[in-house]
Amino acid sequence: MNPYILTILLFAMGLGTTITFASSHWLLAWMGLEINTLAILPLMCQSHHPRAVEATIKYFLTQATAAAMLLFASITNAWITGQWNLEFMSYSLPTTLVTVALALKIGLAPLHAWMPEVLQGLDLTTGLILSTWQKLAPFCLLLQINPSNTSLLLILGLASTLVGGWGGLNQNQLRKILAYSSIAHLGWMILVLQFFPSLTLLTLLMYFVMTFSLFISFKVNNSTTINSLSMSWSKAPIISSMVPFILLSLGGLPPLSGFMPKWLILQELTKQSLAPLATLAALSALLSLYFYLRISYAMTLTMTPNILLNALPWRLPSNQHTLPLAITTSLTICLLPLTPAIITLLTL
Amino acid sequence: MSLPKISRVPASRLLSAVHDPRWPLRSAAPLAVPKRALTQSGYRRPGQPREDKPPWQRIKFDFSKGLEGITKHFKLLRQEFSDRLVGPEGKPIIEHMLEQNRVIWEFRGPDSLQEWTLSSDREIGGQSEIHLKLGKNNETCFLYGTLQSAPPRDGETRYSGYCSMRSKQPLVSFDRKKHHDWSSFNTLHLRIRGDGRPWMVNIAAESYFTHQKDDLYSYFLYTRGGPYWQDVKIPFSKFFLTHRGRIQDNQHPLWLDKVNTIGFTLGDKADGPFQLEIDFIGVCKDYAHTEDFAYEVYKRNPEV
Repeated sequence: MNPYILTILLFAMGLGTTITFASSHWLLAWMGLEINTLAILPLMCQSHHPRAVEATIKYFLTQATAAAMLLFASITNAWITGQWNLEFMSYSLPTTLVTVALALKIGLAPLHAWMPEVLQGLDLTTGLILSTWQKLAPFCLLLQINPSNTSLLLILGLASTLVGGWGGLNQNQLRKILAYSSIAHLGWMILVLQFFPSLTLLTLLMYFVMTFSLFISFKVNNSTTINSLSMSWSKAPIISSMVPFILLSLGGLPPLSGFMPKWLILQELTKQSLAPLATLAALSALLSLYFYLRISYAMTLTMTPNILLNALPWRLPSNQHTLPLAITTSLTICLLPLTPAIITLLTL
Repeated sequence: MSLPKISRVPASRLLSAVHDPRWPLRSAAPLAVPKRALTQSGYRRPGQPREDKPPWQRIKFDFSKGLEGITKHFKLLRQEFSDRLVGPEGKPIIEHMLEQNRVIWEFRGPDSLQEWTLSSDREIGGQSEIHLKLGKNNETCFLYGTLQSAPPRDGETRYSGYCSMRSKQPLVSFDRKKHHDWSSFNTLHLRIRGDGRPWMVNIAAESYFTHQKDDLYSYFLYTRGGPYWQDVKIPFSKFFLTHRGRIQDNQHPLWLDKVNTIGFTLGDKADGPFQLEIDFIGVCKDYAHTEDFAYEVYKRNPEV
């Protein structure tokens, strides 16, 4: 893409999110979300392949619907209460509608159907931006509104963890697996939103780090299916040995960093006397763990039978920037001992 | 005093003799495979009456057929659920990972012919014929017929003379579309025995927009006549994009994760009989083939 256009689009994406971060008026927040959506659309259909254009249109339609619902809810709130401030939504109808609109924006179940198809049509870098950066602005809004309907958030959260687990079970396309993993993680974030919002932020940031590592690892291998991952041990052996750790961290296993948010969320839910819900969420994490393990099985634990050991392909030095991958992989694996410090930082 | 009614419109019997919609379809050959009905092809010949029945008058209610349909669809749904527990596409993951060749269509019994649908320019008023039957010992499929490139005399068609065989869209329970996922493979493998005519292989992938519903990815299939079987391996990177027969300028590779149908078309303007025998159609993974796409994707004359 023309570097000037690329700069403008990336700048606009940053601008949109920043406007939403800085806003206390609903109209400004909505404007930031719209700028964000519109800026990513050209990035999504860069390759002009029909599937990329299909993904762009599906993304645009869902995001536009969500933004329209959000605008409607905020106008309804302004009509009823007479003020546009984000934090002072006291009536249940606008608040519920805002929650549902933001759930559609980020792809929570049962409003998740667009996510796998959209991610499947994009290349890995744009998919990464969609899974990470585009979630920041809606979460900023979700963290600021006072949820009136406690059970709605719990239903959204539990449904997302279950759907994310079940849906990803039989996929062999990596981007769809990442989409379902995103849905499951968003479910975990929403479960604890009304009890301990800082944990939502912690889960979100940890998810960003872990999924960034995974996306970039797949990008370095240039693979989009599970089968093509089986050749990665000869192309990038160190990455092949680190990816199982990233995947287990995504699955939430100790002693990796991904365990931190899940542990704290389960603890918080138990403190709120929601132990059965916590059990169900933990069990649904097992479903996600199954397909993470399947990817690590295909990538690292098996060797394809028809490549001779002494016929390895040329391993030329890669031109890709692997420093961010190195940083995020280290953070994905080693952050668990810093849990007390992180909690203190977040609760300040 | 009432005058006798003068009819200004010619008698309907007179008109129907000329515009009889059944006239082009009358053929003496027995129908081994159900051909595409005129309405299925979506083309209404100019001069033929429209089917203007409202939808509620087109439904034919039949209780026993309804019950059969319900049991069939629920059985398929149960099969889907149990396949999901096994692995992707109903096979364990290790089988999916190790798969290098897969036979998709194999003609070993009369049921295999039900997965295919035939069409020729009979639908637009031409005179080509196409039939499909099982070959010797029920081991192959035998596609045969006659090509006539005389265009139909309707004043608007200039060229004619095509015959084709296309696979039906695979369906899951409740008539939902299922797509072939060939993303682990990169080559189409056919075993055919032709008569020297050049055929065209057309693959239709799933499209979202209605203006893309006639998008086909095509490549040529040159048959060598003769008693020996011909193994044809066409990499999927060679397939180019066409729309309603016209090769498109903006080419892009075929994405293999959602393939709907495959078809064979003959339209080589050589009138006369033709035959094609197909043993199997499969896909395979050629590790030596590293090409992504055989055609240029950049703009050849970019505007500055």
